[in-house]
This record gives sequence, C-alpha cells and structure tokens, in this order.
Amino acid sequence: MSDTAATLTQDRQKLEMAALAAPAVVFTVAMIAFPVVYTIWLGFQTFSSAGKQSFAGLANYSKLISDAEFWHGLWVTIALYVLSLTLQLVFGIWLALVLFHAKRLPGIVRSLFISPFMMPPVVAGMMWLVILDPSLGAANYILQWLGLPPSDWLASPSLVIPTVALIDSWQWTPYVALIVLGGLQSLPPSVYEAAQIDGASPFKTFQRITLPLLLPTIVTAAILRSVDLLRFFDIIYITTQGGPGNASNTLNIYGFRVGFEFFNIGYASALMLTLTAIVFGAVLAFNRLRGAVAW
Amino acid sequence: MNDAANTDRWIRWLNTLQLVLAGVLIMAPTVWMVLSSFKPSFEVTAYPPTLIFSPTLDNYVELTKTTPFLSYALNSLIVTVGSTALGLLFGIPAAFAVSWTRISWPAILTLAARMAPGTLFLLPWYVMFRQVGMIGSYTALILSHAVITLPIVIWVLLPSFDGIPRSVFEAAQVDGCSVTRILWRIALPLVASGVAVSAILAFVFSWNYFLFALVLSNGDTKTLIAAAFNFIGEGSTQWGALMAAATLIALPPLVLAALVQRWLVSGLTLGAVKG
Repeated sequence: MSDTAATLTQDRQKLEMAALAAPAVVFTVAMIAFPVVYTIWLGFQTFSSAGKQSFAGLANYSKLISDAEFWHGLWVTIALYVLSLTLQLVFGIWLALVLFHAKRLPGIVRSLFISPFMMPPVVAGMMWLVILDPSLGAANYILQWLGLPPSDWLASPSLVIPTVALIDSWQWTPYVALIVLGGLQSLPPSVYEAAQIDGASPFKTFQRITLPLLLPTIVTAAILRSVDLLRFFDIIYITTQGGPGNASNTLNIYGFRVGFEFFNIGYASALMLTLTAIVFGAVLAFNRLRGAVAW
Repeated sequence: MNDAANTDRWIRWLNTLQLVLAGVLIMAPTVWMVLSSFKPSFEVTAYPPTLIFSPTLDNYVELTKTTPFLSYALNSLIVTVGSTALGLLFGIPAAFAVSWTRISWPAILTLAARMAPGTLFLLPWYVMFRQVGMIGSYTALILSHAVITLPIVIWVLLPSFDGIPRSVFEAAQVDGCSVTRILWRIALPLVASGVAVSAILAFVFSWNYFLFALVLSNGDTKTLIAAAFNFIGEGSTQWGALMAAATLIALPPLVLAALVQRWLVSGLTLGAVKG
C-alpha cells in the first residue's frame, strides 16, 4: 500500500515537473521551432512581384550555387571569422596570462576590463566610426605621429575586413581572456611545482604544461566566439552596411538585405538556413575537438 | 640568490608594464568617446584632435532637443524590462525542473535557439507578425527579445540549482511539500544571487540587441539601439551628439555589469567555466 502511495507521489511529481518546464518549452517551440519549420517551407517558395506565392522546389538553392554574391559573402564571412578568432585567441591568452600573474585585481580594474563586451556592439561601431574617420579621426593622427602613412580603414575595400576584425577583437578579446583566466586559475598548482623542480624555463613550462592543460578552456572560448563571429552583423551594419561596394557583405548581412531590402523572402530563407548549417557545423566540429583535448 | 630576486623583480615589472599597456588599449576608445561627447562642437572635429578643452553639455542638450532620444530610451526600457521579466518567469521554473530531473533537452533547445543567426527567425516572424498586424507593437518586440533572455536565465541558474544539496529537497518532500512549493519557498531564496546575476545579464543582452528591433519596431516603438542607426545618418558634422548618444546608450549595461562583475564570468560562458 505504501508502494502505491510512493508511485502516486512520483507520478504527481513528474506532472509537476512537466508543468514547471512547460512554459519555457511552449514558448521556444512557438517562437523558434515553428518559425524555423516555416522558414524551411519558405525556402521552397517563390514570391512574384505581385506578392503571389508558388512552390519553387529547389530553385532557391540552385540559385544559391550560381549566385556570385553568395560565394563572395561566404568568403567574407570565413575571412572575417578566421582573422577575428585568431586575433582574439592569441591576444586573449596573452591577456589572461598577464592578468593571472598580476594576482590581485581590484574590482574596478575588472569592471574596466569587461566594459568593451558589456557595451552594445552598436555603440562600439559608433565610437570606432569616429576614431577611424579617414580625414579627421584620431587613429590616423596617431599613425601620422608615429611617422606612418594614414589609412582609409573602413572606407578601403581591401582593409575593411581587417578593420572590422580589429573592432570586434577590441570588444571581445577581454571576454576570451576572462574565460582563459578562469581555466588558468583552476589548474592544479602541483604541475608547476614539478616543472620548477625540474628546472624548466618559463617558456617551456607554458608550451609543454600550461598550454596543453588549457586547451579545453581555449576550445570552449573558440566555440562561444564562433557562434557570434559566423553570424557577424551589428558592427558591420552600423559602420559599412556591407560596403564599400560589397567588400564586407557577410552572409548574415547579405541574407538580411535580400529579405528586408529586396523582400525576396524565399531566397533569404535559403541563405539563412545555409548560414545556420555552417554555424552548427562549426560548433559540432569544435565540440569533437574539445572531446579530443579533454584531460 | 640575489640574482634570482633580481630576475623576479624584472618579471614582475615587465608584467605590470604589459598590464598597463592592455589597460590603455582597452580603455582608450571608450575614454575618447566620452571625452568627445563633452567637447564643444567645433572641437569634436578639430584636427589634430585636442585632449584639453572646456567641457560642455551642449551635445547632450542638442541630442534631446533634435531627436526623440528620451522616448527611444523609454521604448528600450519597456522592451528590456518586459523581456527580462518574461525570461525570468519562464526560465526559473524550467531551470529548476531541468536541474531536478536531469532531463536536459528543454535547456538545450533554448540554447540552440540562441546559437542560430537571428535573421533565421526574423524572416518568418516578420511574415507572421505582419499578418496579425503586430509589427511595431511592444508585444512583438518583447516576445522576440525574450528569445535572448530565456536561455541566459536558464543556463545561469542551472549551476545554482545544481549546487543545492538534494537532502534539502528530500526533507521538504517528506514534510509533504509539493514541488512547486519547494521551488518558491526553499530553492528560490537559496539561489537569490544567481537570479540577480541572470536578471542583470538578461537585461544587458536584451538592451544591447540590435537586429530584431531594426525590423519589428516602428517610429513610435523604436529602441535606442535601433535608433542609433538614424543618429549616424545625420552626418559627420554631428559627431558630438553622436558620441553623446553612444555614451548614454552604453551607460545602463556598463553600470549594471560593474555591479556584478565578480560573478559575470561563469554566467557569461553559460556555465562552461566556473568563475
């Protein structure tokens, strides 16, 4: 009898748990899962200029393959991604090591270090737009002062990707640094002591001990940054809107403009689904890598 | 012996130097933005740029006079507070249920939604909200921004709920408490600081979010972030007002983040790193 009572409370508990999780699940299905299915359906539709909609099969996807702007967008996305991620990981690890050896950091210093990535990317874009202005900006003044030639920065088709990567790296390198710092602080001190007794140089200790032990944390930081970098939008939309010409037209910017400036919803859906597949592909690949370097 | 102490001092000095260098690189652009916002208009675009000037509030006055800055700010506040409240309302019980049952797919579902590019949802939302005449409504903006806040609340709270010893709940169960009662009366007070951190992070990321308001708002409901785009359109002669706008938009998230900076790291990595 007490057995049935126990099952009864267990059943009741399961029901209560389901009721607690239900609002979040229903909300997510309504706002995300259903719209995504709708997007997949939209990707097979074509809309005439009169607004008439008809089934197009794979037409939007075959258009993708022959669309030079899509391949250009893919190239811009990947170039910006690789450049930004490299900058942020290299300088993030450097900054983490510097912060780690500083030992005690007052709260105010920490607040200043996190300030770039706590402010809206849109604001970062606004401030750098002024600093990097080719004729009146402070950046060119500093270059001149150092005896270097001035640069067109965001206005130069060949420099716009590195410049945007620089702005994003200014904003997110401290974030990578804080993650790596967390990893450094959780490493067992015993390994350093052993290395010290063996007389290993600081550089050797870093290369042979610290870096391998840090790899899982670094991969975590890479995953978190990849998700943002592959769908790069805010800073570009504020500063160049994909320009000059189409030099910084990432896939996300291109898809947005196809959808909301040219109102080609069907083709924009196909573009966005492709970009989503790329983002999730990158996350899955990094997740495998994290499994491989775990200790 | 003396040699080693010397090397040690050398290394510490070198480290401090690098720390200062990093600090200058990180802070200089923000300082420049704030300084420019207080410059008289003729000095904002002066070349060579000036560091010493007599500060003025002219840019801020002009900003509020020539643009509906305050009503944009109110829109931002309504959307951000609304979506943060919705995120907490749905996220707290969900995080508790996931932590208790160890059935994690609801949490993963919300996280997957956070990882996809926003434009992916924005296309169908635009079509659907237009059909029901909700483009430009606060409701559409709050619902869309709750997609940002919900996973933040769930993933920041999960480790907090996980940290409560099971025995606490079991004792309450023996006393005949229902699960819902345990959540509100026992678990929630124990994770109060986690709730505060998740609320602040949700607020910050909802406030900072650009894309959804760009399409789903109209002239009356435009948020500050979406309106920032218009401030730039007004031409480079308005640099002072532009920097004043940028400073004011950045202020709320920066102040809030400074309040909880100690707990931010584990929250920001969605629990991937214990801060």
